Amino acid sequence: MRRAAGQLLALFAVAAFLPAPVAAQRDYQPPSGPTPRTAAGKVDFSGVWAKPYVPDMTKDGKDQKGMAVLPFTPWGEAEWKKYDAAEGDYTGACLPFGMTRSVNTPEPMQILQNDKYFGFLFEQNSWFVVVPIDGRPHRQAIPTWFGDSVGRWEGDTLVVDTVNFNARTRLDTIGHPHSDQMHLVQRFTRPDLGHINYEIIVEDPKTFTKPVVNTRTFTLRPDWEIMEYSCEENNKSLWEGRIKVPKP
Amino acid sequence: MHLTRLMGVAILACALVEPVVAHHSFAAEFDAEKAITLEGTVTKVEWANPHIWMYLDVKDDRGGVQPWQCEGGPPNTLTRNGWSANSLKVGDRITIDGALAKDGSKTCNARMVKLADGRSVFAGSSGGDNPPPPKQQ
Repeated sequence: MRRAAGQLLALFAVAAFLPAPVAAQRDYQPPSGPTPRTAAGKVDFSGVWAKPYVPDMTKDGKDQKGMAVLPFTPWGEAEWKKYDAAEGDYTGACLPFGMTRSVNTPEPMQILQNDKYFGFLFEQNSWFVVVPIDGRPHRQAIPTWFGDSVGRWEGDTLVVDTVNFNARTRLDTIGHPHSDQMHLVQRFTRPDLGHINYEIIVEDPKTFTKPVVNTRTFTLRPDWEIMEYSCEENNKSLWEGRIKVPKP
Repeated sequence: MHLTRLMGVAILACALVEPVVAHHSFAAEFDAEKAITLEGTVTKVEWANPHIWMYLDVKDDRGGVQPWQCEGGPPNTLTRNGWSANSLKVGDRITIDGALAKDGSKTCNARMVKLADGRSVFAGSSGGDNPPPPKQQ
């Protein structure tokens, strides 16, 4: 009895040190209900979504399943080994995070959708990406930070396909590399009102010998709104020289 | 047996601590191996993205006062957790646990900020390995 009481006390003692938001996040329950659909009968992904923070895509976490060992090519492994964030993490200069790293951020994102377009509104640095989902092909565009995305339906799954990356970004905060040959596939399903099942597949034959896959769950937050996030407003770490500007 | 179980619980508790904030790589600016605890008086709070900054005067060993600056979480996350620019006021006595900047300046990344009465105030920091900002009670 005394032993059980002691263990209970120990549990309370440890629980007291748990940060409140963790408990709040674990307690939060999204509204329940069936999968919403548009007038055209397509799954409607609209809403403000909480998503797991994934600074390292090899790691598992709450609502995140990573890929523990990345299948590097020799080129990819060399890129990873020589990376040093202190020599110029481009995000410290408020340059665009790119698609994977924007989805990886802890800040929420809003999805807007109609028959023609699917829009990512990332709170992180107030960036957005508009994805045509009406069947058009990729543009012959110049490479960009976020790449060129088009979407298609596979049943109730929306598949966002992205190419034409400029290779100036990293996959995640810790700095895993990719090349300009990256082909990104993001698969969205909405099993009910409150959740999105999300899969991200990185295909990049220059960097990896096989696809890198993460699976995640996003949670609907109707009680949140996307807020402005000006990265440049007070980025004094850059101005005062503690963060280096990356070289192109 | 008791100790083993308690350690198990403690490890579980640590595993539940989820990072919240990331504008840039922690390692780009700070050294996680250089921990510091600062006790001082707040002189200014800048409530702006991408991170809040707290300025404080800290007494040194020779009785002088040294100005320090410490980075905290982004206002957006802190706002969602119930904090505001007025949660920490000029003149408040605080204790900051954090990590030093790599450049040797009097700059830190705040992991935890506590008032003199022990209440936690916003911090949250920019480090992916840091605790999330506490929620206002």
